[in-house]
Amino acid sequence: MTDSPEASELSEPRAVATGSLVKKEPEVPAHDPIVSRSTSGIMLLCALLLTASLVWALWDETFGQRPWKGTQQEFVTRYTRYLKSIKPQAGKTEAEVKESVEYQTLDAEAKAAQEQVRPETAEIDRKVAQIQKQLDAVTDPFQNQRGRLTVINYNVETAKGSAKEKYRKQAEEKRQEVVEVELPAPDGSGKTITQRMNYEQLEKFYNDLREEKARILGRKAELLKQPTELAKKRDDYLRHHMIGLGPGQIDGLIRKMDNFDYSILGHQISANESDIVDRCEVCHVGIREPLNIRPADLAPEGPGKKPDSLARAFVSHPNRELLQIHNPDRFGCSSCHWGNGRATTSDVKGHGRHKYWLWPLFERENIEAGCQQCHAKDRVTQGAETLNLGRDLFDQRGCVGCHRYEGFDRETDTLSGTRQSTTQLEDQIIGNEKQIRQDTEAANQAADDAEAQRLLAHAESLRVSNSLLAARIDQLSLQSKYLMQDQKKIGPNLKDIRLKLRKEWVPIWLKDPQGFRPGTKMPTFWRFGVDRDGDEQIRAISAYLWQESFSGKVQDQARGDAAQGKELFETRGCLGCHSIGDSESSIGGTFAANLQRVGEKSNFEYIVRWIHNPRERWAPYCPKEKRDLTADDYSKNNKPYVFDTELNSRCPNDGAELQVQNMTVMPNFRLTDRDARDIASYLFSLSSPPAYPDASFMDDPNLKEKGHGLIKQYGCASCHEIKGFEEEQRIGKELTVEGATPIERLDFALLTHDAEKGHDPLKLHGDHSEKPWYNHKGFFEHKLVEPSIYDQGKEKDPKDRLRMPKPYLTPEWRNALTTFLLGSVGTEGSNVPASLFYNPQDQRRQDVQNGWWVIKKYNCMGCHEIQVGQRSVLMDVPVYQTPEGKDLLPPRLTSEGARVDPTWLLRFLNDPSMSDQKGPAAEPATNTTSLSVGTPGGNRKAQANGGNAGIEPETQSSGGLKVQPGQDRNGVRSYLKARMPTFNFSSNELQTLVRFFMALSGQQEPYIKEPLQPLTEQEKLVARQMFTSGTPCLKCHITGEPTHDEKAIAPSFLLAGERLKPDWTFRWLLDPAQIDPGTAMPSGLFRKEGDRWVINLPNPPASANEYSQDHADLLVRYMLSLTPEEQRRLLATSPVQPAGSASSQTQGSLRRKSNENVTKKIRKNRRPPTIARTGGRANTRAPGM
Amino acid sequence: MFKQMRVWFVLTIILSLLALGSSCSKQGTNEASPDTNSTASTGKTYASKGDEGTVTGAVAFNGTPPAPKKIDTSADPVCGQANPNLVTEDTMAREGKLANVFVYIKDGATVDGTKVGDYTFATPTDAAVLDQKGCHYVPHVMGVQANQKVRITNSDPTQHNVHPTPRVNPEWNQTQANGAAPIEKSFARPEVLIPVKCNQHPWMKSYIGVLKHPFYAVSGEDGAFTIKGVPPGTYTVAAWHEKGGPNGTEKTMQVTVAANGSGKADFAFGDAASASSRPGGLQMMPALELPMIVRH
Repeated sequence: MTDSPEASELSEPRAVATGSLVKKEPEVPAHDPIVSRSTSGIMLLCALLLTASLVWALWDETFGQRPWKGTQQEFVTRYTRYLKSIKPQAGKTEAEVKESVEYQTLDAEAKAAQEQVRPETAEIDRKVAQIQKQLDAVTDPFQNQRGRLTVINYNVETAKGSAKEKYRKQAEEKRQEVVEVELPAPDGSGKTITQRMNYEQLEKFYNDLREEKARILGRKAELLKQPTELAKKRDDYLRHHMIGLGPGQIDGLIRKMDNFDYSILGHQISANESDIVDRCEVCHVGIREPLNIRPADLAPEGPGKKPDSLARAFVSHPNRELLQIHNPDRFGCSSCHWGNGRATTSDVKGHGRHKYWLWPLFERENIEAGCQQCHAKDRVTQGAETLNLGRDLFDQRGCVGCHRYEGFDRETDTLSGTRQSTTQLEDQIIGNEKQIRQDTEAANQAADDAEAQRLLAHAESLRVSNSLLAARIDQLSLQSKYLMQDQKKIGPNLKDIRLKLRKEWVPIWLKDPQGFRPGTKMPTFWRFGVDRDGDEQIRAISAYLWQESFSGKVQDQARGDAAQGKELFETRGCLGCHSIGDSESSIGGTFAANLQRVGEKSNFEYIVRWIHNPRERWAPYCPKEKRDLTADDYSKNNKPYVFDTELNSRCPNDGAELQVQNMTVMPNFRLTDRDARDIASYLFSLSSPPAYPDASFMDDPNLKEKGHGLIKQYGCASCHEIKGFEEEQRIGKELTVEGATPIERLDFALLTHDAEKGHDPLKLHGDHSEKPWYNHKGFFEHKLVEPSIYDQGKEKDPKDRLRMPKPYLTPEWRNALTTFLLGSVGTEGSNVPASLFYNPQDQRRQDVQNGWWVIKKYNCMGCHEIQVGQRSVLMDVPVYQTPEGKDLLPPRLTSEGARVDPTWLLRFLNDPSMSDQKGPAAEPATNTTSLSVGTPGGNRKAQANGGNAGIEPETQSSGGLKVQPGQDRNGVRSYLKARMPTFNFSSNELQTLVRFFMALSGQQEPYIKEPLQPLTEQEKLVARQMFTSGTPCLKCHITGEPTHDEKAIAPSFLLAGERLKPDWTFRWLLDPAQIDPGTAMPSGLFRKEGDRWVINLPNPPASANEYSQDHADLLVRYMLSLTPEEQRRLLATSPVQPAGSASSQTQGSLRRKSNENVTKKIRKNRRPPTIARTGGRANTRAPGM
Repeated sequence: MFKQMRVWFVLTIILSLLALGSSCSKQGTNEASPDTNSTASTGKTYASKGDEGTVTGAVAFNGTPPAPKKIDTSADPVCGQANPNLVTEDTMAREGKLANVFVYIKDGATVDGTKVGDYTFATPTDAAVLDQKGCHYVPHVMGVQANQKVRITNSDPTQHNVHPTPRVNPEWNQTQANGAAPIEKSFARPEVLIPVKCNQHPWMKSYIGVLKHPFYAVSGEDGAFTIKGVPPGTYTVAAWHEKGGPNGTEKTMQVTVAANGSGKADFAFGDAASASSRPGGLQMMPALELPMIVRH
């Protein structure tokens, strides 16, 4: 800028001069454009440009780079307006609370207490003031003297020789020196009295005054203690009863807005631990406001109007609870939500919406993917329902069959590990034996005795090691037994298809499973139109499966009563997992198959057998020999052809643990065979088989080989048991960290361009959505909905085509699975350090997560509420909608761990019929959990508990079905029609479940029972009267008396001692509705009187009035120690005793081991426990309690 | 020229500073006054004008009513003694007339066009009484206004437990021994109808209809009912009977009430009427459209 004018002025004349030498003609140079033309125009332009750029630079600095400033201003404006609008309402609420009787009472109490101590405190205040005056007067003289003395003392310390003595003398003089102190007169007249004191007196006077002051101030604090507490109680009441904020708090917020900090740093979160700097709150200013701000509150045109995008950005965090657990100051925002936390120039940048930003903000519907990042080891993450659904689907719809995912399919993984370890240990033993022989040999030939001894000792220690190794193998073998018991497949066992299915139906099903049964887990494999060889493949697969299945015949079954079957199907609990009805109008759960069309595909006999006991396997499988065993294997070893999980789980040939059950999660409902036939008849009444095309090709042995190859290719054995494929490995990609796959390694194939441009061939998000989907979410969604989509337009050999079949997916399911996959990023793909991952170290949390795997595996939540607020499937089934129906729902288990004794729970889960606690009539040989497969025909009369006494159990099983232990009864709630089935859990799973329930309720492990205070004779009298006269407990609870129990709606007290925990029972008695809302047990049985609970009756029994301790506690102790004799005594005196007293026929079901245990506990040594077992019949003596 | 430039430069700086200054100044002036309307109640308080009419009618029962069944009271002998002739009460029909039908104004507007649901009604101060006498609830069907007290008494020499199972009100289950003081409760939210049971005596049933307004009646033994004090207007009148579905059956019709006039609404339940009935209507029935009045 500066150089041009001068430069041109200097150079121009010279140029003119040289030119003039050559050309004489003066061609009117007068108008030299360079010197004479004005540059001001250009200058102006430049100046303008400069100005413009400066303006732009300044504008950009202020606004362009700080768009958030305007946003913040907008927030302050809108929020202030909103706060002002809600203030009057808040004032009203406060006034309302203050007007309430409770508040007034508290206020009066506080004020009265204050008044009461006022005279004394006033007196204290007066005294203190007086003392203070004296203190003020004496402090200066005293401190001056003390200072002087200190100086002299210092001199003593530092002086040497005789000077020391001199100073000492000086100090003594100082001490004796008398000072005059002007003290205020004690009458408070304002006059002063002069007092003369030496140092010692002064010091004492000063200290006395201070002590006195401290003493009376202490007294004052003591006096004020009660009034202060009462005032606090009153203020707390106000605080707890105010809904929302008070007017004072709102004023505070308005003030905060007036002094709003318009900056980045004021709203930036720096989380050191996770290396995160997040500026999200620069724009999302309202996130952590104490009010629940909704979009409409901050609408541009005023509260309650239509919100715009800014109003939606200003809302407070919708899940405050979550923020409390994951404090943003520690975790930041982007750790969960992803996005680019540092960017502030635009929302697009801040949200990380860029192809190459590794952590783009999760879409709203996938927001829980962020949870998975750190909670990858959880089976259930509380509050993350979408994610939990995704995990459920991945686990239960069979994804895990083909795709490994760390932590899923635990049994198979562990089992292979166990088998490997066993082989290693066996090898080690063989090696050791060889060494032993060598050592012994060498010892024989040893040169000297010492060497021989050393070798022999070595051989001996090896022998001992071998025995230790053998012990470990035993343990591993036990584990592998458990694991095989727990290992399940989601699809049915295809070794059974000859027994189970109509032959012609098999190819029909394979071709279009969704067509036959909409929503089924079985995916569609062939895309007709693309896969021209589809039909041929289906024929080959059908042929292989048909020829490689058990031949034989299921025992004939007569048809039963379909109407009765319907009733049973709807009430026994089948609907917790299965659905029935056509897809639109179906009811029941989606965990297992819809059974509407079973009749079209199956053999009646097989279905009866299956319903009766689904775990009953046709033939055991030996993993060691890799084949199914036959009766011959047993007979050639002179063993009966019996296999079950209890005593006959080993191979007769080599002792290896066998697969003795069907690998289904369906439990055994302990139905009578008549019930099984009825239910099957009902199912078969719903549909009838049409004429299917001929399928004789299935017997063609030439097709078998091709079928074998195809089954391998498609991975059928991932979900099904198939002969020859028992040890088949997974065929799909591991998905544990699939969400972290770089985008360029996700093969969009020919759709890459479409994805980038937003063209969506599947129209997943509506017809008009042109949103690019070249991202992980887009890839997963399209792959899930149409797994073959990335084959579109590709030229491929059929066997190279993408193998993933098309699953049934609702949009909700698609989203849940996408969320799950998006969050599956592992350590590398995560944007926080692994140290932040949720990795509970405490046993309790681990127990909970371990338990969830089992709970989810068997779909316990189909029938039970386990998590607070969770709904079971049955709750929504029509039968349970009426007020009466609600009473028949399976019990709520939200407090199960606090309610029951873990030892009892273990026994109950092992055998929910509790049939191990039999009366003397029961056969001791009956095996509780055995599958009783192949055991000689059942001949025992099953114990029918009181509630089901109307149904006479069949003594003879027709149709070759075994009578099962605990047949047709519930162990605890015999009045429920729903049946708690026998799951045949392994010891591992039993333990996991018990620990789960205990941990969920925060119970101490192991549980050590506190001894109960025994009841005195007097207490027993009181308890009996309370039990019968006021609160007729036995009116509703099972007593064991059949006619009564038909109408009973609550469990037997005789179980209580062993089953219930006293503290839970106490809380239950006080307010059952708090533990189990909607329960039949009424509230208000006790009322509070002072510090104790007393029975809530207008005319309580006289003895209860005299009893001065807690009535509820007494009743708990009485209940938990109730014996059959005591109960009979109660029934005899009770006014509600029904016609026909307890007779000997019920003794069997009445007497439980529990009673025995309680008896033992309460009355140690009083009588031998054996009497308790048989006592009921003859023993009429008054119980000793 | 230099001078010019300087002028420009200075001007630019001043301008920029001005711009900067104005951009940074606070926008405190355009604060809107709080919208008071949004928090105020949208309903107007209902006041009687003196020209109210009635809705009257009768509920017929077509066909043969099921004979009342005798109840087995053996579970509690006290009940057998107190009321030996206890029978089921689900269909109380005699001579073609049906009792215990809850009739109420479900929807509609007064002549000035205000919807019934938009009014606010004063809560009655007297309590509605539900008695337990002879081991059944008396009355079997009753109506109350929202927040009106329901006083439940036990006149029996035995213990009961009162257990309403509402859908949109809190559920509770309270024991009431013989001679115990009455239980006083209220339901805050309109709900047609809340079943009340007693778990100890499973046959005991009662239904409480909770409405925002007082325009309801229960048909008597002659099937007749009268809804009094109805302001002139055109309404949807609904009749609800407990049988027919898990949530009873509801029928509706349009009725116009003139000033000081009477609207006629005759309903029919039973066989012939079943074609037009809507079983389980309760679930589908929209509750009275009542805008949220209180904002938290």
